[in-house]
Order: sequence, then structure tokens, then C-alpha cells
Amino acid sequence: MKPIFNTISSILIGSALLMQPAYAETPPNMLVVGFSMNNILTLDPAAITGKEAVQVLANIYDNLVSLNAADRSKIDPQLAESWTVGDDNSTITFKLREGATFASGNPVTSADVVWSLKRVMKLNLAQSTSLKTHGFTAANAEENFTAPDEHTVVIKLPKKVDPQIIIMTLCLVGPGSVLDSKAVTEQEKDGDLGNAWLTNNSAGSGPFKLEGWRSNERVTLDRNDEYWGDAPAMRRIIMRHLAESQSQRLMLEKGDIDIAYSMSAADLKALENNEDVKVQTIGGSGFYYLAVSMKDEKFKNQKVREALRYLIDYQGLNDSVLPYFGKFRDRPIQTGISGALPSIGYKLDVEKAKALLAEAGYPNGFSTTLRAISDTPFVNLAPAIQATLAQAGIKAEIITGSGDQIYGAMRERKFELIVGRGGGGQLPHPDSNLRSIVYNPDNSDEAKLTNFQGWRTSFYDEKINKMIDEALVEANPEAQIKKYEEIQTYYADMVPAIQPFAEVVDSVGFRADIRGLELNASWSTELRTVTKER
Amino acid sequence: MSNERLFAFARQAGTVSATLIGLLVLTFCIGRLMPVDPVRAIVGEEADQATYEMVAERIGAHLPLYQQFIRYVNDLTHGDFGVSIRTGQPVINDILHVMPATIELATFAIIFGAGFGIPLGILAAVQRNKPADHVIRFATLIGHSMPIFWTGMIGLIIFYAALDLVGGGGRLSDYYVGLVPDRTGFILIDAAIAGDWEVFADAVNHLMLPASILGYSSMAYITRMTRSFMLDQLNQEYITTARVKGLSKSRTIWHHAFANIRVQLVTIVALAYGGLLEGAVLIETVFSWPGFGQYMTSNMLIGDMNAVMTCVLLVGVIFIALNLLSDALYKIFDPRTR
Repeated sequence: MKPIFNTISSILIGSALLMQPAYAETPPNMLVVGFSMNNILTLDPAAITGKEAVQVLANIYDNLVSLNAADRSKIDPQLAESWTVGDDNSTITFKLREGATFASGNPVTSADVVWSLKRVMKLNLAQSTSLKTHGFTAANAEENFTAPDEHTVVIKLPKKVDPQIIIMTLCLVGPGSVLDSKAVTEQEKDGDLGNAWLTNNSAGSGPFKLEGWRSNERVTLDRNDEYWGDAPAMRRIIMRHLAESQSQRLMLEKGDIDIAYSMSAADLKALENNEDVKVQTIGGSGFYYLAVSMKDEKFKNQKVREALRYLIDYQGLNDSVLPYFGKFRDRPIQTGISGALPSIGYKLDVEKAKALLAEAGYPNGFSTTLRAISDTPFVNLAPAIQATLAQAGIKAEIITGSGDQIYGAMRERKFELIVGRGGGGQLPHPDSNLRSIVYNPDNSDEAKLTNFQGWRTSFYDEKINKMIDEALVEANPEAQIKKYEEIQTYYADMVPAIQPFAEVVDSVGFRADIRGLELNASWSTELRTVTKER
Repeated sequence: MSNERLFAFARQAGTVSATLIGLLVLTFCIGRLMPVDPVRAIVGEEADQATYEMVAERIGAHLPLYQQFIRYVNDLTHGDFGVSIRTGQPVINDILHVMPATIELATFAIIFGAGFGIPLGILAAVQRNKPADHVIRFATLIGHSMPIFWTGMIGLIIFYAALDLVGGGGRLSDYYVGLVPDRTGFILIDAAIAGDWEVFADAVNHLMLPASILGYSSMAYITRMTRSFMLDQLNQEYITTARVKGLSKSRTIWHHAFANIRVQLVTIVALAYGGLLEGAVLIETVFSWPGFGQYMTSNMLIGDMNAVMTCVLLVGVIFIALNLLSDALYKIFDPRTR
């Protein structure tokens, strides 16, 4: 029944466009952005999860440094004018710019930066993970984040890692967001470091400040008149919760919203021919992958895993299911990141897979289960993979469910096959992908290292752990790149539990008369530079 | 108050509280058995185990089910509905914000639904098996059987995108938001108090489409029920008698037949209204209407039990109140129950 309705509504949308009268335009100095805000539960930078809150907070908080929107490997100064890495790679010293102030009028000092970093560690909420990974804890925060004078911040690395990855982490909205310590401390309640207050208030130095947030309704940002940089052209940004992709599309076509962040592939495709709207696709974070559980006897066998590698229709998925969501990639490091090798070019090869299965002792295949969340594009990916698996006799029963059901099972290590999305990549550093997708320091059930996909799949290889650790501490950049290349080759040879078949991309639709929109791959698109040409 | 009346009152109060307690227990069990994890919703996909356990402890999700329930009920008896995970605000404040949006929508919808539904139902009954009857039955059948999210989307495409007659999603256009002070939460009332008729018109513009689509779907039900009640009456002998006595047709219909179905209609309309208050989820989603239905379901999906329980409790209270109200109206309209 549903496809019929979809067809009819598509036809009606089409005909509606033909007879469309004048546009209802948004005011010239107000930007209206639409996306689903279902995942925003707080606007406290230390506690946010998911990309939606990042899209909001990127306009409110500054960091010491930021990732360049056009070239992800470049790091731009923000609140820090310059930074130097100590000779032994164990400290990073940031020099703050003069004259930056928070929206409250308070000056931005090194004490604020240090306070914000310690706060992330002390609260120990979602955004502490990326710092904890590199050895920072609430206990060692005092000693590792220091402010020798008002304009200097020194970060001591508790673990020997590539300082670049720490600098990149500080570019992220969340762990690296700099808060107005005075303003937040005034609102502290029962030692919560302002957590309750920051849920729907802001204390940043960015181009905009939070005027109001109504859960699942709207976020209103007003221009921060105290902003230290060039004043943004927009006085106000309204972010509207539009859960339905079709609503976003209709309102974008009508000009009632200027930018739509979360439209479905069908609606994005339909907009390709609309002259008033542009669609832009940028690199995202992580991969679409097929994962196996190494707890399963069958998948412990490397031949079986290798067979699965040839039972994915890489090209077919790329052409039919993944437009606007992902693009072909079969290596565990995203393209564009330093050290990433070109894709190998795996192809669907049923004969080869059958031969491998026969070698492994499964000439007639086997039965298994394939999990996928009941959301696009997974609802299309799972049957497509099921079909190619079946060609080699593998009967995979599809189990769908919510994120909690599907990734929950993976976190509990109770699954066989899963088609999922993930694998780091928020940082343009190869370690970000590798650590998430294959690294596993402790394979015991009790370790509960649920943030590592490697642990979730029960994949454990001492050698690759060591290679990843060594590459991260390699001080010579060229030698480091070589090490990452070796890891990728080794990854291909030993067939780990996760086989990527695409890397994530994000697609955004916006009115054609919007200028200066610099989409940022880490979701932290700053709308500061946006103007309207009307 | 006589003993008998006192007893009846006590019995009613007992039934009401038993219903509400049953509702709470059931909702709590279903909510907790659902495969959603509020802790995961808070900490996110990437968090490690230490963070997970800390948050679980903070919100009490680490306790056994029955202890969580006791804790909830204990807070409830102290008038504390808890804090919502989704918004970080006291649930009661959230509800005071979302409820007016839904009441505005449902009230307009029921005015539309009953205003058209009842006359059409009577017309259909009087014109039984004639073209008018068929047309009405067909039109209302469509309203009843179309999925409302689809009717909503089509409505948007035609009346908003193509004809530009009504506003798009939301309660107000973006440039009107925040212009009138939020006194009651009802935008129409707030705008009227402030005397800002431009905002008022914009609110009506946004309300019209979702309310009439919602009204259309409830109209289907009201029309069909009215028609069948009416037919029931028209077949009675007293109607024939009245006509034979020489009473005009319209007088027979309105003064005799209609007077006798008023009571049943009140119940139908009251229940339909209750249904609209809690069941407008789909239309609220399509129209990005920040109402009660959307609040309840989006919280259910992340296991935000403080919010869900309060919502269910409220729905229970609304239905009980509507039932009591229609009982009271019965007594006014129906001399036999006095």
C-alpha cells in the first residue's frame, strides 16, 4: 500500500511545483535551517551525542583550533593564534589571541580553556570519550591542562601519542568547546558544573548565542554582538525540527527554509532538477560495513570471512542504494585522510566466494542472521546483501529493529552478521578510523569495551593492535604514513571482522541564493559566513 | 448527602483510582520491557562503560524494575513528576507547553468534525439510500480509511505548496515567533490578549489545515454514528405517529428524533475529542506541530519514562473526565437518569 501512496504523493509534489506561485521567502538577515532534532537531548557541549547537536553548537562555541572546511587535513587557528609542540612530543602549547570575549562580555582567558577541558573530564559524559582514549582522566586533568599565564595553555600528554591527534580532538565541538567559566560557575547547582543550566543556555564566544531551545521544536540563535571576529550577516538563525524529509523538501522548495540538513535520498534526488535549490554532498565520518562476530564458529574461519568479502555487490550498492548516503570504499581508512591507500576494488565474485566456502568446509553454505536497523539506507542494504549471500548458499535471515536493538546486540556481542555504520572518522587522522574499527586492547567479555567496534565483533589480533599503537607514536611524518599503509595492507590480508563497502557522506540541500555556505565534513558547519543574494 | 449517594461516589472514586493505578503499572512494565535504553540515549553510541554506568546510577536505571517503580510512585505521591531525559526540564513544565498546542489543534478539529459531521449524518439518514446519502457515506469513508499522515502530506502539497492558501509546518511563521508574550501557551489567546491580529491571523493560517484534516478524519466517525443513531430513531413508531398527526418533517426530525440522540452524540463527540488530544501524533509529525502526541511518542522512543508515565496518566485522567462529563450531560439531557 505504501509505495502507491508514495508514488501518488511524488506525482502531486511534481505537479504542485509546476503550478507554484510566488515564493514565501525568509527575511534577508534571518537564516532558517530545517532538520530532525530528535537526537538532541541537551546543548551542554560536554554531554551532547550525535551530529545534530554539533550542527547547532558549532555556531555558538569557539575552540582553540578548528578543522578547515575545504581541506580537512588543515588546522586553522580560532581562539588560539598559534601553537607549538614540545620537542619530545609530550606537550602542546597554545597562545591565545588578544581581545576575544564571550557573549557575556567576559574576556576569553587561558583559565577558561583549562576549566572547560577539566569540566569535560570531570563530568565524564559522552564527549569525554575522545580524550579518555588518549589517557586523559578526571584524576590527571589538573596536572595535564594548565595555564601558566592568561594567554597560554599547556597540554601535557599523559600517554605517548601523535600530538596532532590531540590538536584535532580539540577542533571537535564538544571536547574542545571553550566555555565562559565565570558565567557557567554562577549557574552551578549541586556541583553539576553547570550541566543543568547549559542544557538550554549557552556560554560561548562564537558568532551566535543561544536565544532559546525548545526540544523537538526549534533552536533560536541570535547574533553575538560581542563576537571577536567579523560580524555575521545574519541577525538570527532559526533551526527548526522538521522530522519528515518531505516537509523539509516542501519548505525548501517554497523558500520557507533556507537549508535542509536531513533529507532522504528520494527527496534529494528529486531536488536535483530544481534551479532554486542546490544539493551538495560532502565527506562524512565512518563507513557502511558488513561485520561478523568472531564468537561464531563459522566466522572465526578466515576463509569464510574472505568469502563474505566477495559476496558484497560493491558497485551495485554504490549505484542503487547509497547515493547521498555513502560512496564506495573498501579500506579501513577514509579517503582524503593522510596515509589512506586507494581502494582495492573488491567486486562481487560468487565463484570465488563459493570456492573459499568449500575450502572452509561449507560447500553448500550455511544459515545465519543479518541484523540491520530499520532505517534508510539499511532497509535497502540488508536485503541486497542477503541476496548476494544467497548466491553462495548462505541463508541469512534479516533481523531489523531500533538502534538499541541492533547495535545493542552488537555491544553485547550477541549477533552473527550485521550491516551497520560506524568506525570513527570524526578526526581526519587514520588512528580515528582504525582505533574504532579494528583495535581491541582486551578481548574478554568483562572488559566491556563497547566503544571499540573491534571488541564488539570479538576480533582480537595482537599484531594489529601493536601496529596501530606504534603508528600513532611515530614522530616522523613520512615514516608514520608508511606505517599506516602497512596496516591497511595487513588488514586486507588477514580479513578482520569488519569489511567496509562504502564511506559515509552527508548531503545538504539549500536555496540557490545562499552564498558562503562552507559545509564542514565534521558536521561543524559554521553559518557565520552565510549571506543571501536577494 | 444520602448514604446511597455517598456510596455511589465512593465507588466511582474507587474505580477511577484503580483505573489510574492499573494504567501506571501497565505503562511502566511495557515501557521498561521495550527494547529502548534511556541511558544509551543520554551517553550516546561511542561512550565507554564507565560513563554508561555512572549515568545509569544517576537516573536510577541500575535498580531492579520494582524498585524503580516504587521510586517513581513515591515521587508521584509527593507531587513530583520528575525530570524529562529529553528536555532536561520538569515533565510538568513540558506538558504545560505542549498541551495548549494540542488542545488548540484538537478543539478546532472537533468543531470542524462535529460541526459538519452531525448535520451530514442527519442528512444522510433522512435521505437514506438517495444520492445525497451515498455521496456523504463515500466522502466520510475516505476520511476514515485514508492514513492521516498521507492526507496531511497531500494537504500540504496542495494547499501549502501549490495554492499557497495556508502556512506550512509549525504553529507560526518563523518571523512571528516570540512576538507576543507567552501567557497561556495558546497562541490564539495570547495574540488576542496582546491585540496582535497579524500574529493571530498567521496562527489561524497554520492551524487551519492540520485541524481540518484531523477534523475530517473524526468527522467520518461522527457522521456515520449520527446516521445510524438517527436511522434507529426514524424507524420508530413514534415518528410515524408524529408525521400522521400532521407534524412537519423538519419538526419531527429536529424536535423528536434529534432530541433523542443528543445524549449518545455527546458521548461520541467527547470520546472523539479525547482521542484527538492524545492521538494526533501523525498529524503533529507531518505538520511539525510541537504537541502532546509528538512529545509522548518521541519520549517513548528513548525510554524517557518520567515523561511517558505522566503523559499516560494525563490521558487516563482526560478520558475519565470526559466520561464523567458525558455522564453528567446524560443527566441533563435524559430525564430518565435524573
